[in-house]
Amino acid sequence: MKTVLAGALIALMSLVTVAHADTLDDIKKAGKVRIAIDTAIPPFGMTDDKMQPAGSDIDTARLLAKDLGVQLEIVTTTGPTRIPSLLTNKADLVVSTLSITPDRAKVIDFSIPYADHPSVVGALKGLAISSYADLAGKKVAVVRGTTQDTDLTREAKDAQLVRYEDDATMALAFASGQVDILATARSLLPAISKKNPARTAESRITMQTNYLAVGLRKNEPALKAWVNNWVKTNLQNGKLGAIYKKWHGVDIPVDQLLKIGG
Amino acid sequence: MCAVQRTMSYEFDFSFLAERWPDFVAGAWLTVQLTVVSIALGLAVGTVCALLRVYGNRWVKAPVGFYVELIRNTPLLVQIFIVYFGLSSLGLKLSAEVSAVIALVVNMGAYTTEIMRAGIQSIQRTQLEAADCLGLTRLQTIVHVVLLPAMERVYPALSSQFVLLMLASSITSQISAEELTATANLVQSDTYRSFEVYIIVAVVYLALSVLYRFTFWLVGLVLFARKRKLGTAL
Repeated sequence: MKTVLAGALIALMSLVTVAHADTLDDIKKAGKVRIAIDTAIPPFGMTDDKMQPAGSDIDTARLLAKDLGVQLEIVTTTGPTRIPSLLTNKADLVVSTLSITPDRAKVIDFSIPYADHPSVVGALKGLAISSYADLAGKKVAVVRGTTQDTDLTREAKDAQLVRYEDDATMALAFASGQVDILATARSLLPAISKKNPARTAESRITMQTNYLAVGLRKNEPALKAWVNNWVKTNLQNGKLGAIYKKWHGVDIPVDQLLKIGG
Repeated sequence: MCAVQRTMSYEFDFSFLAERWPDFVAGAWLTVQLTVVSIALGLAVGTVCALLRVYGNRWVKAPVGFYVELIRNTPLLVQIFIVYFGLSSLGLKLSAEVSAVIALVVNMGAYTTEIMRAGIQSIQRTQLEAADCLGLTRLQTIVHVVLLPAMERVYPALSSQFVLLMLASSITSQISAEELTATANLVQSDTYRSFEVYIIVAVVYLALSVLYRFTFWLVGLVLFARKRKLGTAL
């Protein structure tokens, strides 16, 4: 059953690939680019108070469409449907906190990275935490079952992990003073700090770093070359950095990203 | 078609139990500790409040009534959050376990108040008059003539409430108390065997419920001499 299904999928994918051998050409002909974005992960993608899409990924997609000289059509997706929306040709590109992973690289292509996405151990301003050893005997909040939970369980054996069910509860635990240290995505720290101005979370230990890239279908040399060049140009001219800074409050390591991108 | 076939051929895999059973035991033990303390303290709070609600003057009755209605008409999860996050915002940092016990006692107390009040009000006035005639002190009257018979009458309702509290304690996992449900969530997120994990947890809760009911039955035999000797209800 599995082989039949896999065979069918491969056949389907090759069909899609053949039918759209040059997506870049199609985009220009149609005058619009369809970009898949998850609009439920602030501050990357969200809906603002005027019910309009907003966020760093939205701005990145807008910039890309503008430079491509076409209209932007946002295809709203969720985390798990980002890659299927590419494979089923519902979207031309994915710009949606898409981390480069070996598993994903088997089914889609990635551009060079346009931002980094590190997990960090954050601590209350003024608290002396700079290494895993400093966490010994201290309460550290994590969301149960996340990569941060797994990594800290392994790396900081003497820390006392306090596990919450989701980001919101963990953020509340920090804001209300139940915990002074937490492990989460760095992108969440500003939002967590905003909940209680008296309790600001500062990034102290960088755990794993993922790199975010634009996702595209395989066998799209023209489109891939264009996107790679676009990312490189806009990293160098600082436009991508400005977007990231605007929404996340931190700079992206441009040199490092360019080095990874070659 | 494919989805149906895959659902039908779900293969159960309990192999993680060999490694993780101590986690479940630790979780169940914390559940027992949390609930036994909460039941004992909650019963004490509820009994005192019930006496105040029946025999107190209106300056006492009103606040007790307010407490009972406030607690019985708000969700337990909200009460737990208020104790854990609310008090912490005010500077009183309590651990998840202590917060859980406080919230469970406050909750248990309100429900017990109403159950015990029903029992106390079922004691006939003539019984009190008889106790007076026999020269019993006020304390003796309350303990022997009012409270024990009252409790005997409402004992089935009380036992059910105790078991309900034990089951409700599962939501203290939300404030990071590592009790049975929190253990299940953790093991489930590590092993991805969620179906198996929750089946195990359901069985453990069921076993705990049976154990609790058996214990309450034994306690009842000790407490209520008349029932033990005559075998009849009051």
